[in-house]
Amino acid sequence: MIGADDIPVIPRGVRMQFDRVRERWVLLAPERTVALDEIGVAILSEIDGQRSFGQITEGLAAKYAAPPEEIAADSRGFLGALIDRRFLEVRQ
Amino acid sequence: MAWKKPIVREIECGMEINMYGP
Repeated sequence: MIGADDIPVIPRGVRMQFDRVRERWVLLAPERTVALDEIGVAILSEIDGQRSFGQITEGLAAKYAAPPEEIAADSRGFLGALIDRRFLEVRQ
Repeated sequence: MAWKKPIVREIECGMEINMYGP
């Protein structure tokens, strides 16, 4: 499970792209694709390979009128699913 | 845009499989 001090990193070969046919964002990895919703895009857009998970969720909490603990829990589950499928890596 | 639980769906062989979220 990703911790507050962990730094999420989008690995080489994985990138976000707008699918013009279906008009939605997808995350592309070699031979694999996942579809994202607007909140998923917002979370991934905050990942710069420098900031920790805690800093990212603090930034999201400042943007959205939602409890920080709810944003952290949802973001943790979302990023955890991507880590499990190797769409995302974590540095400590 | 209001916060909501994000949804991720894996696209495999033309099908979409829910990975996370409602």
